[in-house]
Amino acid sequence: MKTGTIGNTARILGVLIVLGIAVFPLYWMLTTALTSQENLFGDSLQFLPDFSQLSVFGEALSRGNVLQWLLNSFLISAGTTAVSIVLAVPLAYALSRFSFHGKVLVGLGLLLTQMLPEALLVVPLFSIFQDFGLLNSLTGLVLANSAFVMPICALILKGAIDGIPRELEEAARIDGCGPLTILTRINLPLIMPSLSAAAVIAFFHAWNEYVFAVTFIFDLEKRPGSVGLAGFIGELGTPLPTVMAVAFMFTLPAVAFYLFAQRYVVSGLTAGAVKG
Amino acid sequence: MALINKVEPRQSNRWRRIRGRSAQGNKWTVYLFLAPAAVYLVLFQGVPLAQELYLSFTRTSLLNPTRHTWVGLENYSEIFSDPEFFHTLTTTLVYVVVCVLGAVGGGLGVALLLNSKFRGRGIARALMTVPWAAPGVAVALIATWMLNAQYGIVNRVLSEVGLGAPDGQILTSTAFALPAILITTLWQLFPFPAIVLLAALQAVPKELTEAAAVDGASRWWTFRAATWPIIRPTVAVLALLMAIWSIRRFELIWLMTRGGPDGSTRTIVIDLYAKAFDARDLGMAAAIGVVGVIISLLLVTANLILTRRAEKEDAR
Repeated sequence: MKTGTIGNTARILGVLIVLGIAVFPLYWMLTTALTSQENLFGDSLQFLPDFSQLSVFGEALSRGNVLQWLLNSFLISAGTTAVSIVLAVPLAYALSRFSFHGKVLVGLGLLLTQMLPEALLVVPLFSIFQDFGLLNSLTGLVLANSAFVMPICALILKGAIDGIPRELEEAARIDGCGPLTILTRINLPLIMPSLSAAAVIAFFHAWNEYVFAVTFIFDLEKRPGSVGLAGFIGELGTPLPTVMAVAFMFTLPAVAFYLFAQRYVVSGLTAGAVKG
Repeated sequence: MALINKVEPRQSNRWRRIRGRSAQGNKWTVYLFLAPAAVYLVLFQGVPLAQELYLSFTRTSLLNPTRHTWVGLENYSEIFSDPEFFHTLTTTLVYVVVCVLGAVGGGLGVALLLNSKFRGRGIARALMTVPWAAPGVAVALIATWMLNAQYGIVNRVLSEVGLGAPDGQILTSTAFALPAILITTLWQLFPFPAIVLLAALQAVPKELTEAAAVDGASRWWTFRAATWPIIRPTVAVLALLMAIWSIRRFELIWLMTRGGPDGSTRTIVIDLYAKAFDARDLGMAAAIGVVGVIISLLLVTANLILTRRAEKEDAR
């Protein structure tokens, strides 16, 4: 398309403004972490990070339970990813390739799971977990998180399997493969990008989750990063640059993985959420 | 054409034969694939939801959650006779409407902005996902700091140009807390619709918009006539998703204001959590939650009906 130079300049300016808005809070998090305590509360703003303050990250990691929190977050997220994917793959396959009684019902059920606020189910789950001894345990969080993110993974994977030509399965079936073999040997290798997108979504859903974690975990050393970080809000004992350093380290993996996987995440979500 | 006509039936017959054979042999296969996920969702979503519904008809305390006293509709009559709850409903409505309009509208604007070839478009698209990926807790933390009354960058910059809030109060002011929370939420929400709409815009035939431009049509007219009909279904789904996501949104509001000051940022989700874990009244909390789910259901139904009607009108 032919556009004037002025139009183009305006467009690029617009893009830069939008990107600035998108990235600025993260930049400000880093800058605050890399500003000395005196300068933070001084008379004028310090707009650039001061890299002589880099040791703040080391201090943050050695502070209290910070390292333990990040490790807990990792364990919860890895567990949630495993449970969600293992459950979502067969569900997606059934939704994509079979017609069966109650298919509409299953679809509606999946939609309903998207509507339920975590804060709503936190009350009944609290009493259920109490009965089964799942309170104050990372396993409980894995189970609760998976229930919320697994349907999204299933929708993404369904979209991906829909895109595989049936002829491939037909050929495998003639060769005598059963449905499970077809799924694991034919379909899964072909949907690797969507599978990794679903894994990224599940992982960082659990990484970012807060409501269940703050309600179900009592011990300081069992907290995940989200709860530990939230504990800093309004607390005065920890210096602000240290808090921001923890926040930055907690945010960076999520942002980095989404940058890397966003193409697949978006195409997966578009296929799953928008078309289906 | 003739060739295709000849070949196709044969292929599909063979396909049906093979499928038929496997379907006969494995009538239950599909249910084996479904069972694990279905059982899981019933256990961790269905059962809790049913229990929540039951709790809403009881008086139950957090301190003794296994003892329920059946009170019928008492919780519901109590919340609906409480003017505070209507305040909560209005706040929720404002929050959801602004989130849907802002996120979808803003997202569409950004998508149109990015919808042309320029150097670094891939990087721009990737960087735009930053707000979406950032953990809610970290966002609440940095937003709270940026909005700090005395030392926050927002107030410092605003007072430089003479626009500072009185005493610098933002999150503690009944006038500014909700707008501040809304802006933070919109910052987190807009990338998703932007990227999905950018993908949807690829389906708009270039010839169409180019032809319109050659004919001297205005940009607005081109958008209405060529672009909008194609992206409208996507917009509808996005509006629904944004509505559901914003009703569910909890940690941002909870950590930034706890629903305050004076309940000016208290949405349904905040209200129900505070009722359950601050007031320790699980029955009331459940009743509020059920009202929230019913509102979500109404929204979904309305969206489906409107989408169907629009499709029918298109078909005519």
